[in-house]
Amino acid sequence: MRTMFRTIFVLSAAILLAVAENAFAEQTTTRLKVYIGGQQRPDLMRELFASYMAVNPSIKIDLEIGGATSDLHQKYLNMVLTAKDTTLDVFLIDVVRPAQFAAAGWAEPLNAYFGSSTALEAAMSHYLPAYREANTIDGKIIALPAFADSMFLYYRKDLLKKYGFQPPTTWPELANMARTISAGEHNATLQGLSFQAKAIEGTVCTFLLPYWSLGGEMLRDGKLTFDAPKAEAGLAMWRDMVNQGVAKKNVAEVGTDDTRKEFQAGRVIFAVNWGYAWNHFESGADTQVANKVGVAKLPAMDGGKSVSCMGGWNWAVSAFSKNKAASAALIRWLSSPETSKQLAIRGSFHPVFASVYEDQDVTKAIPWFADALPVVLTARPRPVTPMYKMVSDALRINTNTVMAGVKKPSEALAEIELRVGRAVR
Amino acid sequence: MSENKMSNLLSSKRLRWLAAAIVIVNGLFPALWILATSLKGEVELTAKPITYLPHNPTLQNFISAFRDQPLLTYLLNSGTVAILSTMLSLFISALAAYAIARLNLKRRDLILTSIIAVSMFPLVTLMVPLFEIMRAANLLNSYWALILPYTVLNLPICTLMLVSFFHDIPRDIENAAMLDGCTRLGALWRIVVPLAAPGVFTAGILAFVNSWDEFLLALSLNSAVAYRTLPVGIQMYQGEFAFPWPIISAALVVAMVPVVIVIVVFQDKVVSGLTSGGLKG
Amino acid sequence: MQKRALIDRIIDPSETTLAWLLLTPAIVFILLIVAYPVLSLIVNSFFDIRLSRGVPVRFVGFENYLAALNDAMFWRAVKNTLIITFVTVPGALVVGLGLAMLANMPFKYRGLIRLSLLLPWALPLAFVGLIFAWFFHSEYGIFNDIIRRIATLMPSLGWEPQIWFNSPSLTMMAICIATVWKTSSFMALILLAGLQTIPASLYEAAEVDGASRWTQFVEITLPLLIPSMLIALIFRTLTAIQSFDIPFSMPGPGEEAQTLAMYIQLNSVDYLDLGYSSALAVFMFMLSMATTFVYLRYVRGGRD
Repeated sequence: MRTMFRTIFVLSAAILLAVAENAFAEQTTTRLKVYIGGQQRPDLMRELFASYMAVNPSIKIDLEIGGATSDLHQKYLNMVLTAKDTTLDVFLIDVVRPAQFAAAGWAEPLNAYFGSSTALEAAMSHYLPAYREANTIDGKIIALPAFADSMFLYYRKDLLKKYGFQPPTTWPELANMARTISAGEHNATLQGLSFQAKAIEGTVCTFLLPYWSLGGEMLRDGKLTFDAPKAEAGLAMWRDMVNQGVAKKNVAEVGTDDTRKEFQAGRVIFAVNWGYAWNHFESGADTQVANKVGVAKLPAMDGGKSVSCMGGWNWAVSAFSKNKAASAALIRWLSSPETSKQLAIRGSFHPVFASVYEDQDVTKAIPWFADALPVVLTARPRPVTPMYKMVSDALRINTNTVMAGVKKPSEALAEIELRVGRAVR
Repeated sequence: MSENKMSNLLSSKRLRWLAAAIVIVNGLFPALWILATSLKGEVELTAKPITYLPHNPTLQNFISAFRDQPLLTYLLNSGTVAILSTMLSLFISALAAYAIARLNLKRRDLILTSIIAVSMFPLVTLMVPLFEIMRAANLLNSYWALILPYTVLNLPICTLMLVSFFHDIPRDIENAAMLDGCTRLGALWRIVVPLAAPGVFTAGILAFVNSWDEFLLALSLNSAVAYRTLPVGIQMYQGEFAFPWPIISAALVVAMVPVVIVIVVFQDKVVSGLTSGGLKG
Repeated sequence: MQKRALIDRIIDPSETTLAWLLLTPAIVFILLIVAYPVLSLIVNSFFDIRLSRGVPVRFVGFENYLAALNDAMFWRAVKNTLIITFVTVPGALVVGLGLAMLANMPFKYRGLIRLSLLLPWALPLAFVGLIFAWFFHSEYGIFNDIIRRIATLMPSLGWEPQIWFNSPSLTMMAICIATVWKTSSFMALILLAGLQTIPASLYEAAEVDGASRWTQFVEITLPLLIPSMLIALIFRTLTAIQSFDIPFSMPGPGEEAQTLAMYIQLNSVDYLDLGYSSALAVFMFMLSMATTFVYLRYVRGGRD
């Protein structure tokens, strides 16, 4: 009798424990949905997520792949977040977006998810300062840096060597070098300098590079601090490039990839472009410039500093997510130096940590990152404001119309001041 | 110009040949350009002077197009959504058109205008609420998420076309059929619709192509790869900055072939003289 | 007459009841899909909803509408949209009519003609703009290439390749060309169907009477095509008012060639100013409604 009761008791306890454990396990399996762009290497991301899930068995990650361009990506997010969608937990946002997401209340501030303020400070201080700054709005951490980007000066090191030139440090110097080389090469289709003036986002950088170089600022503490003479000097410098024949006349038609294609076809001496171009130049199909490409800091205006334009993407947690803690843990892992190193080696993504650029494994896999670091360190964020899109439009539209010869610089600058002022009021 | 001279001009064989040549060049050129581009390498696109026919034709772009993305899945999705929404649209608008064209209905114009009013709002302004509806109905990332809106978007043109064609059919034929014991609805399906064949098939073509090409809703409502349609899929070949014309042209060729087949087949039915109206000379 | 029981009316309906029954599927579908979005749109237009600014939503009555009327960018967008409408609607009609007539004639290569007529419609609209933007590219585009070749052959003409997208007017021209190319196909399809309803006997009788082809066209074809033309015109006009894809892909200098639909998209999806963009959309609706009324009144006047 006693043995029977004991057996029943033990059996029931075992069954109860098994059921309880099962139920408990089911309760703690969290599904996270991550949204990235189509061109952000979904295959690589899946591998990373697989390794995360291996270490965190209670987490399952679903990847949703969205628009190929930053614009389409953002439009989709704008739409679903306006509809307060709760199914997305984590998404990548462009480096110019945190202010907008903060104002709209779409991103969950991450300060509370680091455990302690010392832990928070320790983690944040590792990032490249510009990235930390770009993601912190009013003291709140809106997103964590995923990967970086910057505008570089690409140049034909074979041509510069032939004429005994070192990479130029000022724009006038670049113009002289370009003219000398063009004259010497007797090649009518060889462009001196290729940069973008199509009304695309990159043209905002075209406007800002010389402006920043001279010390101009667009916004301080969210208020407009427009320095018209410096802006005028900047635009004049670009127009001089066209008038001297260093850059082509239809520069208002040139977009980021047009510059890349033409440099890759061997028809350009100096090019201003983002980091993605390097792989195309060195190992793209039909590239004419493999092993002939050098990378340098962008030239400065006379008497100014060398600056670059900051690009890149960041991980954010949706304010409407039902799994905020798990999502925050995920993006802290995604935004760690180890993951950054993996992304660099396996996907050529620019790291957001200075230490990773100089890591031995990274420089072995991607030698040019050693040259890239000094440039990335000069990169500055575009104006930080929730109304960034309006500011961006004002700058890119007016730069485009000036370079197209449709508007006088003074008119364009007046409109910039008016529109940006209205946007940040 | 005197009447005679004008008609001589119009009937002159030369003019007709010239007009035909213009039409053929005009219609075929961009399609042929896309075909040619799909066979080129990327470098050739920025060659100067520009090339028309590919210098080193390659099928690599087609291979890449199918490899980089599940193009066949997209084709299947687009086809399913387009076919089903077209059929649904034609069915519903046939019923509505019959009511408007034939039956004793007050405020006919108001009803017609209300149906047309559906086309008067730019889709982009209806997207967020539509997203909310589909989410509430748990239909996001499914065929129905697109079939339902496409059916509604095509109702105006289908209805208007069918009203016009139904109007043209003499009532006597129907009345005769009904005297023979046919019901109203029977008359609709067995007599009126077949007689209105050119209108029905044209409306079908228009609805099909509209649904096949629709981009905005497909982008917003069916973002999952498994349910993605062709227009959304094709724009995914882009990079952050890069726009690979050769691969995208290859994908466009693949996207256009089914549409061309549908149009050609249906269009034959439009002009094959099924109606008692007959053909112009 | 006594009102019949509902069940009787369904089983053995009178004409009016049948009519409403037949209309029910259409009404249900439209209400399900469109009612909430449209109501939402109209309601939003009376509020200040600017998600990027993080300001609370508040009721502002007609403020958004008044702001639009005072907005220079709004008027420029309206102007561009009207230009596109007034150029491409008649343009597509004329070209489409010609295409339809040609496709209808007995001709050795009729199949080829019909294919050429329909191919523009088969090319997805989202890509037509991109392709024509490439065609009008100042360096790599075929239009400039042709101009260059003609200029070398016949320098006396003084033709020069242009930087199309550096000039607002040339950009509008390019946009209209691309739009007419794409939509004449649409018009031709509808008109071709309309041509099928014209009995051959009418033409035969006219021939016997000695009427020339031109007279036949003017007296027989055109009048009998009016219903089809009207359908084609209504929808062509509505889509012209909503022009987005083609102008978006061929932007021209700055925002000079921006259409109303582009401006609405800018304010809604980009600037997240839902109140203002809804008001703009309502303006567009009013414009569309007005044009439709004009067309329909013409029908009623012409036919009754």
